[in-house]
Amino acid sequence: MSRARWIVPLAALAAIALIPDLRAIALGFLDGAFGGRNMFNLWSTVSRASILLGMAVGVLVAFRAGLINLGGEGQLVLGGLAAALVGIYAPLPVWAIVPAAVLGAMLAGGLWGMLALWLDRGLKVPLLVGSLLLNYPAGYFASWLASHPLRDVASGIAQTHRIDRDARLPRFDGTILDYGIFFTVAVALLVILADRYSVFGYRLRMQGLAPGFARAQGMPTGRLGYQALFLSGAIAGLTGFTAVFGFAQRYVDGMLTLPLYAWTGIVAVLLAGIVPWRVPIAAALFAVLATGAGGMERVAGIPRESAQIITGLVILWLAGSGRSLMRRRGE
Amino acid sequence: MAADDSRQAALCRLHRIDKHFGRTHALRGASLELRPGEVLALVGENGAGKTTLMNVLFGLIAPDAGGFELEGREGFFADAADAIAHGFGMVHQHFMLFDDMSVLENVVIGAEGPGRLGRIDLAARAAEVTEVMRRFGFHLPLETRVRDLPVAARQQIEIVKLLYREARVVILDEPTAVLTPQEADALFSMLRGLAGEGRAVVVITHKLSEVMTHADRVVVMRGGEVAGERRVAETSAAEIARLMVGRDIAPVEKKTHAGTGTRLALRGLLCAAREGERQVGPVDLDLRPGEILGIAGVAGSGQGPLVETLVGLRPAESGRIELDGQDITRANVAARRAAGLAYMAEDRMRSGLAIEASLAENAVAGREAQPPFARGPLRALGAVADFGRDLIARYDIRATGPTQRVAQLSGGNKQKIVVGRELSGTPRLIVAHNPCWGVDIGAIRFIQDQLLAAAEAGAAVIFVSSELDELFALSDRLAVLYDGQVQALLDRGDLETGRVGRAMAGAAA
Repeated sequence: MSRARWIVPLAALAAIALIPDLRAIALGFLDGAFGGRNMFNLWSTVSRASILLGMAVGVLVAFRAGLINLGGEGQLVLGGLAAALVGIYAPLPVWAIVPAAVLGAMLAGGLWGMLALWLDRGLKVPLLVGSLLLNYPAGYFASWLASHPLRDVASGIAQTHRIDRDARLPRFDGTILDYGIFFTVAVALLVILADRYSVFGYRLRMQGLAPGFARAQGMPTGRLGYQALFLSGAIAGLTGFTAVFGFAQRYVDGMLTLPLYAWTGIVAVLLAGIVPWRVPIAAALFAVLATGAGGMERVAGIPRESAQIITGLVILWLAGSGRSLMRRRGE
Repeated sequence: MAADDSRQAALCRLHRIDKHFGRTHALRGASLELRPGEVLALVGENGAGKTTLMNVLFGLIAPDAGGFELEGREGFFADAADAIAHGFGMVHQHFMLFDDMSVLENVVIGAEGPGRLGRIDLAARAAEVTEVMRRFGFHLPLETRVRDLPVAARQQIEIVKLLYREARVVILDEPTAVLTPQEADALFSMLRGLAGEGRAVVVITHKLSEVMTHADRVVVMRGGEVAGERRVAETSAAEIARLMVGRDIAPVEKKTHAGTGTRLALRGLLCAAREGERQVGPVDLDLRPGEILGIAGVAGSGQGPLVETLVGLRPAESGRIELDGQDITRANVAARRAAGLAYMAEDRMRSGLAIEASLAENAVAGREAQPPFARGPLRALGAVADFGRDLIARYDIRATGPTQRVAQLSGGNKQKIVVGRELSGTPRLIVAHNPCWGVDIGAIRFIQDQLLAAAEAGAAVIFVSSELDELFALSDRLAVLYDGQVQALLDRGDLETGRVGRAMAGAAA
């Protein structure tokens, strides 16, 4: 069994090494993910990984508590939008803009997340359905704002004006990678540590593993659920902030939805088996997959959509191998 | 073995069945013979292999080795349908009935046979079923929905279902768990009638009194093996128990420790009913410190709602709950636990434990935010692990260590975690709901001793159980529930099966 498991990957690697055409494609993939002039592609991969990490960690918080939050996209969009509104229109001193935008983004995302749980508990709309459907009003509302009232008409596309130059997140010297990654990495670390070392993390986990048990032991399960959804949404909102204040420098219609950040984040968490420390690895993997596919397209004409196909196959494989939400491990 | 004389008479024979599940050796060369005209009791502890053996018989599980012979023909059944077609029928512990369909529809389902144009001729089927019921003395209302019938009647539906299919082999898994003693007696006399017509009857049970009174032959399983086979007339309950466990188990020694004063007072307590539930209450009870109050009743008589209301998982519709004179009627679970409540939930796998979490994590649940297990918002993982190790040592839990996943432990060891957790920290009121269900005899004895020791230390105990034997052994007083009401409240001296059984059936005790 264990030998058979290695035969296929080894054979694939051997084929790539020995067949020139395949080798060229693989090199194109590696170049697309890690190479480029001044390692431009590498920084692009890291930048994408940062966004995916933020989205994955947000989902992780909810999934650990057994709450299937599929509303990451709406929470991300509203967070980004709130950040943009604060950044462009709030009459604040420059030093206060970033804290205010972070706060606004987290509140917007967090409250949108809590709304989904309120629909579940108050109106009996299953969280899975409610959180998913709340993505649409959030997305179209943001589209409308960017296309009409807040549009930077001179730019000719559906986007807002730019964030004030002094308030934008700075970039690392000579790269396109901005300081937004500090936010997502810090949040990821906090979540991973809190899961193991805090009472709150323990309670979320127990509620996720056995809700009836958490209740019978006297844990405040009602409050815990809303806290988990708020945190989950707030982290998504914060991720939206890093995108708007970082690489985009404004809110562009579709900038957060078209790259499927939220969905890829969910798949990353599932691939990680909902085990916290594996989530950053999974997020990085999907970032590499996406940018590498771009390189493959340039070199060999293999469409970059193949990365999405791979992602879809990963979901199918996860579903087929029984590594679903029901089978996750404790620590 | 006393079996050789009737060898040719065997209807079917399982021969030296072996079965592994992963690294578990579930069946080790187990052989079993079913004979027409005989009531066979198949006994053994949980995990002894009774169910696995029956599943092999029914073709639901393919064994690793062994053979099956039915009337001279060799070879296992392909599947359950094959077994049913050959006249084998089984009544499961959890009935396989459609609650919203009528009795008739439930009986004929799968054998209704589409007639002309796919139409089902229910009238003709009804006549056939009525004839079957007349032959065997059943009186079931064919048009009534199953949902509206009591448990004993639902079991009869299952049996009629088998007879309608002309089953020659009737197997019942723990059939009396849901019955009053009187209903159980009626069931066995009916089974005796079936055997008298030449059917082979198998009853899977762990109640030795039933075996001794009603069976012809008993096969005892232990650890996947047949530990012994006896004619009931030539054995004793003590011998069967020894075969089941592999050693002698002394009976529980019960002294009364009830002190003075009132620990728990229930005043007109009415439990909030969920949709479709019957009302439970009003209940008036007083409990002294050190007293063990047993709660008996047929399953579904209101035990669940009452326990949930006591521990704070279900609101009270009206009435009062007082713990040491303090009104806790509106207090949540955490507040009640802080006031000294311990709760051993009936559903161990969902409410008693988080089975996917580690042993130590389960052991500190409920006190996870208190010292020494937490400092402020952070957990003290060292203290948590120490407590897990401590519990393993004190309760003799068979585990590799405090980080082992609870799902990997046996039922008895799982329950020891629950008991150990709930009894640490000297509780004032213990609510134990079927704490010995599904654990082996050794662990049962250990849990019962722990409850007695807790009572001796001054805790009041509410002990809800579906086993009259252990209720009689432990209770200072026994409350019998019927249809959500306390039908009888008996002192220890008045405990007698007939009286309790009548109260369980709703008659005056």
